[in-house]
Amino acid sequence: MKKKHNPQIGDHINLAELKKGQKAKVLFLNTTDSATRRKLLDMGITEGVQIKVKKIAPLGDPIDCELRGYELCLRKEDLKMIDVEVIR
Amino acid sequence: MRIALVGNQNSGKTTLFNLLTGNNQKIGNWPGVTIEKKVGIIRGTDHELIDLPGVYSLSPYSSEEQITRQFLFEEEIDLILNVIDATSIERSLYLSTQLLELKIPMLIALNMTDLLENRGIKIDIDLLMDRLDTTILPISAIKKTNVFNLIQTIKKQDYRKNNYAHIYDHVLEKTVELIEQDIELNHKRFIAIKMLEGDMSYEHYVTEPILEKIQSLSKNYQRDLEQVIADERYRYIEFIRDEAIDSKLEKETWTDKIDNVLLNRYLAIPIFIVIMFLIYYLAAGPVGGFTVDIVSQWMDSLKSWTYTSLIDLNASSWSASLVVDGILAGVGAILSFLPQLIILFLLISLLETTGYMARIAFFLDRLFQKMGLSGKSLIPFIIGSGCSVPAIMAARTIPNETEKKMTIMLTPFIPCSAKLPIITLFAGYFFEEYAGLVSASLYFLAIMIIIVSALILKRLFAKGKPSAFILELPNYKVPHVQFILRDTYEKVKEFISHAGSVILLASLIIWILISFSWTFKYGIHPDQSILASLGKGLAYIFYPMLGTLSWGTSVSAVQGLIAKEQVVASMAIIAGLSEANSDSLLIFGSQAFAFFTAPSAYAFMVFNLFSAPCFGSIGAMRQELGTTKRMWMAVLFQTGLAWLLAVIIFQLGSLIGGIIT
Repeated sequence: MKKKHNPQIGDHINLAELKKGQKAKVLFLNTTDSATRRKLLDMGITEGVQIKVKKIAPLGDPIDCELRGYELCLRKEDLKMIDVEVIR
Repeated sequence: MRIALVGNQNSGKTTLFNLLTGNNQKIGNWPGVTIEKKVGIIRGTDHELIDLPGVYSLSPYSSEEQITRQFLFEEEIDLILNVIDATSIERSLYLSTQLLELKIPMLIALNMTDLLENRGIKIDIDLLMDRLDTTILPISAIKKTNVFNLIQTIKKQDYRKNNYAHIYDHVLEKTVELIEQDIELNHKRFIAIKMLEGDMSYEHYVTEPILEKIQSLSKNYQRDLEQVIADERYRYIEFIRDEAIDSKLEKETWTDKIDNVLLNRYLAIPIFIVIMFLIYYLAAGPVGGFTVDIVSQWMDSLKSWTYTSLIDLNASSWSASLVVDGILAGVGAILSFLPQLIILFLLISLLETTGYMARIAFFLDRLFQKMGLSGKSLIPFIIGSGCSVPAIMAARTIPNETEKKMTIMLTPFIPCSAKLPIITLFAGYFFEEYAGLVSASLYFLAIMIIIVSALILKRLFAKGKPSAFILELPNYKVPHVQFILRDTYEKVKEFISHAGSVILLASLIIWILISFSWTFKYGIHPDQSILASLGKGLAYIFYPMLGTLSWGTSVSAVQGLIAKEQVVASMAIIAGLSEANSDSLLIFGSQAFAFFTAPSAYAFMVFNLFSAPCFGSIGAMRQELGTTKRMWMAVLFQTGLAWLLAVIIFQLGSLIGGIIT
């Protein structure tokens, strides 16, 4: 179990761990469900894209991310499957 | 010429469609307003324009997206009019790159350009045109900017044809071209790419030589080809973006500022509850009730005036009775609720156009997920407070089958606008100054019923993994007064024409059934009528929730199947022909309905609100659930639950009432 601390620049984490206001670059999509994977790709979550955590739902889930100039809501469960590198 | 209107969800296609064709299709500010294709003719031309459900790509995710791909793929189309939201151009162009592969001439309408300056975005349209080898026209459908120009361009066919953009890297491009040669179908390039992506729909066309090419390419990249292609597309778009688009990012927008409050951790849910409470309170509570009183007084004078005039004109008493006690009583009872409905329609329309709906779906998703539903189920529920039929159809945007079916079965529990007359009538009379609270309590009860039923249904259905929740959060928009008024007008018009057709006919039939006996004798006591003898059998079913055998109440409740407002129309007709018991309000002053007490009134409301919906909605459920068996399951579930609840409420209410007095 990793120690709980705020993700630092350069850390490799999954997207669900990113804090509000932080930005990260997508490294790898682990999503196994093929329909969901396809949809995520179509929505622009491809390797290298920069994603910022913008708003968090009042109940803690889902999370609203900003990417490619628009906002996309995703559940934590799906964000967990996306590996990222923190860039800010 | 046949033109297909294609674009992302919420990119303003339908707004443009209405503008180009003079049509009045429904618009809103949430992804997935359009769920069926709509056809219109572009003004001043004979070109056919087809509005298709919004898609983000040509790989459909939910059932309404399937319509778009199928249409583009199978129909003869002369031009694709691709609508792009200029404020999120990157994601929009992803779809454009796929549309270009269909090799159908394409014209891009760059919509929402009126918002660009404010957002600090600058687009070099000429450069964009060159890179995509496609004509691009900047427009604003809402501000009606440059739309005339768009029509002229289409008319003169003054756009680039044989579009070809080099998107993929050399190796991928080469393989696509090779596979194309092995395909003997239309849309070769599109299919070749779908094959590389491993799309199941085209799997059966993959021949041995094609498979070899796919495998060798796959070896080359050492990665999943589906991802390679998506990456390539977006890489190309990023390349164009860097060249042609200049945007000052990181600016806090209006949307962010509003969301800081409306999506605030502590405030979001209280604000939501207040908003919903206000909507129903304004519509069903004192404000609505007040207007209903005025209009029904007016209706009463109209009725007595009509009756005297008809008798003065030497009309026979039966024909005067048909007009006054049948048509005017029935239809008039319904129309008197019109002011209230206008309030409700206005408020729902306002909610739909601001962009708040998608946010409710966003912050309630977690709660709904626990109930086996999706946050997206909320959209049908809110539309359902207007009418269940479009609400049931709106469930199409939910990709998971189980969640979709559950949403369809639960949507009719939301009190629709046609149930509002029932609520106002009973709550206003029996609960007087508490009428507003009682009305609100019914909406609260509806929510409780949905939660409990969802938990029951969740157990009944073999539950798989919940689907992903992937929803675009649109920017807030200032509600467009003209659109809201038009939307409200359309709904009001439909309500009135419904009253003038279905309710009118039903009222006529009820008048005949109550005015004649089985031996066709006129001028009998209502208790001897055909209707009474039909209702006496039904009365036993309603006895446990009314505490008395009332044929009039029973036949009226059953007519809720025709239309929920018909319950009130039927009661008004029966009351008008029965002896008056007191001077109080028309319906409850008559002997036929004088037995009602507060508990039985509440119980009867509950039954009518939550039992089987009208035939229209049942038909919609049948269509969307796919089988008649599932439809019957839903109807029986709803009716059974409503009956049980009504009986419990009446028995408990009477018990408590007995103890107090």
